[in-house]
Amino acid sequence: MKLVLDRYAYLDSPVHRWQQSYKLIGLLSLIFAFAFVQNIWLLPIMVVITSILFTLSRIPVSFLIKRLRYPSWFILAVVFFLPFISGENIILQLGSLTLKEEGCWQALLISVRFFCILTVSLVMFGTAPFLSSIKAMRSLGLPSVIVDMSLLAYRYLEELSETLTTMQRAMKLRGFQPKGFTHRNLKVFSQLTGSILIRSYDRSLRIYQAMILRGYGSQTKIKKRQLKSTLVNSDRFSLIATSIAVITGICIMILELVLPSF
Amino acid sequence: MNNVVQTANQLSLKTKAIALENLGFSYGQERAILTDVNLTISAGETVGLIGANGAGKTSLFLAVCGILKPTYGEVKLFDRSIEAGQFNPEIGLVFQNPDDQLFCPTVRDDIAFGLENIELPAPEVEARINAALSLTGVTHLADRISHQLSGGEKCMVAIAAVLAMLPQIVLYDEPSANLDLRARRRLIHFLNSSRETTVVSSHDLELIVEVCDRVVMLNQGRIVADGSPAEIMSNRDLMESNGLEVPHSLTHYHENLGKK
Amino acid sequence: MHIPDGFLPPQVCLTGYALTGGLTWYSLNQIKKDPDIQANIPKASLLTAAFFVASLVSIPVPPTSVHLIFNGLMGAVLGYYAFPAILIGLFFQAVMFNHGGMSTLGVNAIIIGAPAIAGYHLFRQREHLQGKRQILTKALSFAAGAGALLISASMFAVLLITCISPDMDVHAERTAILLSLVGYSIQAVVEGLFSVMLISFLEQVKPELLKG
Repeated sequence: MKLVLDRYAYLDSPVHRWQQSYKLIGLLSLIFAFAFVQNIWLLPIMVVITSILFTLSRIPVSFLIKRLRYPSWFILAVVFFLPFISGENIILQLGSLTLKEEGCWQALLISVRFFCILTVSLVMFGTAPFLSSIKAMRSLGLPSVIVDMSLLAYRYLEELSETLTTMQRAMKLRGFQPKGFTHRNLKVFSQLTGSILIRSYDRSLRIYQAMILRGYGSQTKIKKRQLKSTLVNSDRFSLIATSIAVITGICIMILELVLPSF
Repeated sequence: MNNVVQTANQLSLKTKAIALENLGFSYGQERAILTDVNLTISAGETVGLIGANGAGKTSLFLAVCGILKPTYGEVKLFDRSIEAGQFNPEIGLVFQNPDDQLFCPTVRDDIAFGLENIELPAPEVEARINAALSLTGVTHLADRISHQLSGGEKCMVAIAAVLAMLPQIVLYDEPSANLDLRARRRLIHFLNSSRETTVVSSHDLELIVEVCDRVVMLNQGRIVADGSPAEIMSNRDLMESNGLEVPHSLTHYHENLGKK
Repeated sequence: MHIPDGFLPPQVCLTGYALTGGLTWYSLNQIKKDPDIQANIPKASLLTAAFFVASLVSIPVPPTSVHLIFNGLMGAVLGYYAFPAILIGLFFQAVMFNHGGMSTLGVNAIIIGAPAIAGYHLFRQREHLQGKRQILTKALSFAAGAGALLISASMFAVLLITCISPDMDVHAERTAILLSLVGYSIQAVVEGLFSVMLISFLEQVKPELLKG
């Protein structure tokens, strides 16, 4: 379970050069603005903005398609049903099923919002190493408990995933082939999970000892200094990019409020 | 009568327990992990697998067990071609870290796990558990909690859990890692007395010297040497060019041979 | 049980974030009262990763298979650390697998995290209630596991179905909600049973894990 998201984090593009803390502010505002949209007229604008951002990031389209594949099933399911159950103006009759106009527009709205927000999220987190994103969030004020937990959890995620794979292989090599839902199968899975928990717990005790031997717990003052230095070292490009993104977001929200409803 | 016994012995010695035919494995487009591996191991042999880290030893084991599907080539166990993903009861693998295979509450439960998977009747399960415990010398640990055992105890329990399945071939992946000297000595004694076809992958070259009658050396996924442990492992140039060192007990091997 | 991006109106997303912010602040305050906070943060972090990885295991429940959510269990094992743990887990899932979205992170955190806290309080009752310890533990484990899932499932179903479209027929909505709850009840039973088994395993092998 490699963090595939990081694969294109080392490209060079205007988006990659955008400092991560500023990028987060700018693109999160854009995401919220997109979530705000209810008016069909704004959909083409959303798509254009998303396409420009995505092209600037130089992330390959194949990667985007791969990332869209899994959540798209959910969307497809909903989008398929909506036109039949939502709305009043019937545009097509298929036997006892009726295709309704409002439902179709709803389905379009949801799909486009989903697609645009997902693409912007991919650009947001795919153009920098994941750890930079977490550190950026720390500099933006995320509580230290959550930052510490995120960093440690992320650090051991891949190892634990490999441990799980190895344990499942060991089980398989001793004939475990769970086919049905039986008491025994559930018990085996619960013991597997329990073992992973226990091993993580034991590991964490050793990690903690290693951490305190290297000064963990005496850093609160250092963290405050780091926060100040991040803000001082910002570059003009990032500031401008963020301003553009935030203003775009605000404009979209204003348009949403001002334009006549569809 | 003697001729019959002799021929039978020769035949059983010649039974190919493991046959790897032109085996190769790589993860997608990445560098090949195993390349053109051709290896035959006869029933009853104890073979050592040596090589530097990243040579492909663990991947070879996983391919032989049917966990990894080879990119090309074939794996045959007792002349039967195996398919990846299937359960092959004739082969067992003892993992490097016993924690990876001990996950039931007690030792007895862990040994019973595999036997319950193959749906043996309860009396048979009980008999096999006791046999496995006694074979590995851990009967006194039967009702202890697996997680609370020492490294050496876990190692022997993990071996017991695999042996209870009565495999004809047993693969050991770095069995002496994390063992103290006493536990290691017990392991060596155990490996020397085992009758199954055994393949031991290890960095502990002294263990290989004591336990194996044949050694196969891997480097970057290819077999670069195959033969007598003493001959191969005392060859300084060969060992060093493949990222290994001559084990201490063999440093004067050639001199001693010369004296004889 | 993760709502993807684009599905919910912005007011709901914002409310979700506000509530999550509030519950996070409250949980962190409770965590700060922990005298062992320094030692417990690595523990909670590793267990967060462990639960995350465990939720990737596919358990066959014919005709399909399920991935368990463990929120009740996380509450029982982690206490108030469960809420940040779930928030972090959901964030990782959104970013790594696009399971759940960034705009709906707040809402999803409440759906899954709030019942976890309820699960914690429920499980903790075994210290206070009278009765045979073993039976009490089993009953409360089941209640925490199944209950947390049912609450999450109800919130998820009601929210999704009512918010998805303003024009949807009320009757259709009600039917959809009922149908999905029937399905989720099965998963709730599975989670409940799983919690009982896991907690008995932990009690037998590593009881310290449950004292956190």
